[in-house]
Amino acid sequence: MAALDAGGAGFEVRVQSQAGAPIEDVAVVLEPVSGRVPQLKAQVSIEQRDREFVPYLSIVQKGAAVNFPNRDTLKHHVYSFSPAKTFEIKLYAGQPAQPVVFDKAGEVALGCNIHDWMEAHVLVVDSPWFGKTGADGIVRIAQVPAGRYRLRTWHPRQKTAAAAQEVVIGATPARRTELALDVAPREPRHKPPADSGSY
Amino acid sequence: MPWLKLERRIAVVFVGLVVLVMLLMLLLVQRSGEHIVAVESQRQITAGRMSFEALVDQNRRQLELAATVLSRDFSFREAIATQDRPTMISVLQNHGSRIGAHAMMAIALDGRVIADIQQAQRPGEAFAFADLLKAAEADGRASDFVRMADDRVYQVVVVPILAPVRIAWIVMGFPVDHAWARGLAQSSGLDVSLIDAAAGRVLASSLPESRHAALAQAAPGVKDMSGELVLDGDHYQGVALPLGQQAWVILLHSLEKSEAVFKELEQALLITASGGIVLFVLGSLWLARRIAGPVNALAATARRIAAGDYSDPVAVKSKDEIGQLAASFENMRIGIAARERKITRLAYEDTLTGLPNRVRIEERLDSLGPTAEAAVVVLDLDRFAAINDALGHPVGDQLLRQVGARLAGQLPPRAMLARLWGDEFAFLLEGMDRPAVRAFAEALLAALRTPMEVGGQRLDVNGSLGIAFHPADGSGLNALLQRAELAMYEAKRRQCGFMLAEEVGPGPLPEQLSLIGEMRDALEKHEFILHYQPKLDLASGCVIGAEALLRWQHPERGLVPPGRFIPFAEHTGFIREITPWLLAEVAAQTAAWHAQGLDLVVSANLSARDLLDPGLVVLVRELVASHGLPPAALCLEITESALMEDPTLAQAHLEELAAFGVKLSIDDYGAGQASLAYVKSLPVHELKIDQSFIRSLAGSPKDAAIVRSTIALGHALNFAVVAEGIETEADLAWLRDIGCDIGQGYFIARPMAAAAFVDWIAARDLAFPGM
Repeated sequence: MAALDAGGAGFEVRVQSQAGAPIEDVAVVLEPVSGRVPQLKAQVSIEQRDREFVPYLSIVQKGAAVNFPNRDTLKHHVYSFSPAKTFEIKLYAGQPAQPVVFDKAGEVALGCNIHDWMEAHVLVVDSPWFGKTGADGIVRIAQVPAGRYRLRTWHPRQKTAAAAQEVVIGATPARRTELALDVAPREPRHKPPADSGSY
Repeated sequence: MPWLKLERRIAVVFVGLVVLVMLLMLLLVQRSGEHIVAVESQRQITAGRMSFEALVDQNRRQLELAATVLSRDFSFREAIATQDRPTMISVLQNHGSRIGAHAMMAIALDGRVIADIQQAQRPGEAFAFADLLKAAEADGRASDFVRMADDRVYQVVVVPILAPVRIAWIVMGFPVDHAWARGLAQSSGLDVSLIDAAAGRVLASSLPESRHAALAQAAPGVKDMSGELVLDGDHYQGVALPLGQQAWVILLHSLEKSEAVFKELEQALLITASGGIVLFVLGSLWLARRIAGPVNALAATARRIAAGDYSDPVAVKSKDEIGQLAASFENMRIGIAARERKITRLAYEDTLTGLPNRVRIEERLDSLGPTAEAAVVVLDLDRFAAINDALGHPVGDQLLRQVGARLAGQLPPRAMLARLWGDEFAFLLEGMDRPAVRAFAEALLAALRTPMEVGGQRLDVNGSLGIAFHPADGSGLNALLQRAELAMYEAKRRQCGFMLAEEVGPGPLPEQLSLIGEMRDALEKHEFILHYQPKLDLASGCVIGAEALLRWQHPERGLVPPGRFIPFAEHTGFIREITPWLLAEVAAQTAAWHAQGLDLVVSANLSARDLLDPGLVVLVRELVASHGLPPAALCLEITESALMEDPTLAQAHLEELAAFGVKLSIDDYGAGQASLAYVKSLPVHELKIDQSFIRSLAGSPKDAAIVRSTIALGHALNFAVVAEGIETEADLAWLRDIGCDIGQGYFIARPMAAAAFVDWIAARDLAFPGM
């Protein structure tokens, strides 16, 4: 995963619901309270595979260029009306000529104009230290330089935004941070079988 | 008229029944019609309600679909995302007009209006139906009936705009107006009305405007509305459903529509029934006439039969019950006619020969009228009694039948042949003059001369004829027969074949006429008297009876011997005038003796003519009854020769008398030639041995032997045996000794007057006490 491998301690967060169930796809970001923020040069891709966006949630550092490779045999029309990044890649197949540069921090919802059920989210942050929870609700952010950070969490379907909190990261690994979040379930949307369009 | 009555009754019953059935049917149709209308209308309402709800739901889905399609429009989403209001409104108007949605809005996620094509709500204002948005947030979409700012009710849907996450809401609405109601009414089959219950206002309705006011009046109670609603006089059945917050939908079904079908059916049925009744009246009248007609014909036939006219056959010929009745009538008619013919034959026919009898010929003569020219020819066979005696009466009967047949063969036209009695036949000839009658008489005698074959024997038969003419020789059969018989006797005497009555004289011969006249006088002047000779029971010596003997006490000639007038009286038939007097006298005397305690059986002698007289039995019955006598107190004595005149008829009369209980005795037994076999078959009680045998008892051992054997035979046949002519004590003793039952004779007592008889018995009782 994207991480700045500049030494320092790892940071671990577990997110679960009020009921204690682990929550997947929670973006966890550590923003330094002060100091320079290094710019990562990471190559990020959001694939369209099996008429779905993979992954569902991507976290990128501001200025990152994201590729949208189409792995399906049919075309897609990727768009975003989000203020952080409005764009569209009109019907295309394979690799679009230009990656999309996310140059503004914010939440971007991605859709496909011809496949209503396709949905993906990009969180554009101003920090290289971030991660997202796995199926166990746990995320580990490695090699975070010691210092003071604002810990922010976000989920595409969160019901209320969690307030940022400050954390201090020392030289030694800290205890795992436990967080609770109220997330709506993903709305089921009708997805026709793939071969219905294979004529 | 009776047939009309029957006809009317049949028609009334038939028509009454059919009217009843028709009424019941109409009632049933009406009843079931009402029931079916009620059930059908309920069914219509149930079905219509389901259909209505389905349609409302379908409208909703259609709206949702349209809204969803719009929500996915890329340009629209772009316009929303970029807050491009003019474009948004334009897109909304465009889409709204495509699907006929009059309300189109875009609402931000925070509930503020972004765009509204009606401009009723300004951008930035809060959407008026926050609940709807809340429901849409919860379920992804929402729908309802709401009253919008334009005061109209809309069916609205709220769907999200996704890009792909929810970025705004679209609100779309169809107006709920009269057109909406009419559309639903057409599809559901019910009248659809939307009312504002609180305001008592009709918001929309498929009913005509004129009924809205009445409908509005029902608004307050709409929640509890059930059953019937009357609008403008039309009956509806309906159900009310809430629609949205304030509105109610009333679904109505017109009962008139359902009832109309049954009204038509009832009308058709009424017409059919009326027509049917008319046909039935005609049909039953026709049928009744068919029944009554033959019945009437039968009644007429029955009246004819009752009047004695059996000639017309019964005319009714059908195969039904009337036909069977008619057939029975016909059988009855034939049967009655046959029986009447038989009765007539018995009354008018001689059973032995099958010829007409005396009654028949008498009627025929009477029918000719007093001046008609006719001849009565009487034929009497010679020696017939001798033939009967010698060959037995069955042979005699056969001979009579043959003679009858032969005589019938000689019968000229317009003539009648009758057997009077015994061997005496009579012809009644009409319209023949004397020469023709003479010629006929000659022909008859010639025909008789041919010998007859009877029982294998040739018999020579001769006859004598006497002829009397009507009206010259008298009127009435009796007078004519008497004249003809006299002539016949004269012909017999002269053996000249036949004689005319006028040749014999205007009446009997002068001597005969005077005797008849004298006898008639004697009857009137009571010159005939009866003497009684006692009959003695030989064993006991008691007087048990008496024989009445006719005497004529002539004023000039003194006592006329019986032999001088009785044969003549028998011959001329005058005896038939004497006998009734004699029997009456005997009965009266017997009754008088019985009253005095003398229980005697009194005998009277009957001649052949008396015996053959059909009136005899009746006379005897009347006498016995009128004097209150036991029938057995009378004994009738008949000679053998009298029996042989007509043995069959004689036997028939004897049997009637015996059945009645009168005692019967055969007189002068042994003098004639009656066979014992014949006598044995007669219902008699007594045999009187002819006195010639008794008188010669002493001198003739042969006669004694005959008497002895006759007594034995008589006893063997269960007859009492009487010996008359006992003149000596020796004879009496001998007869008593050989077992003779009863004795009579001068030795016992001479015949004496009734008064003397009582004295004689009294004297005898003194002389022979105990006897």
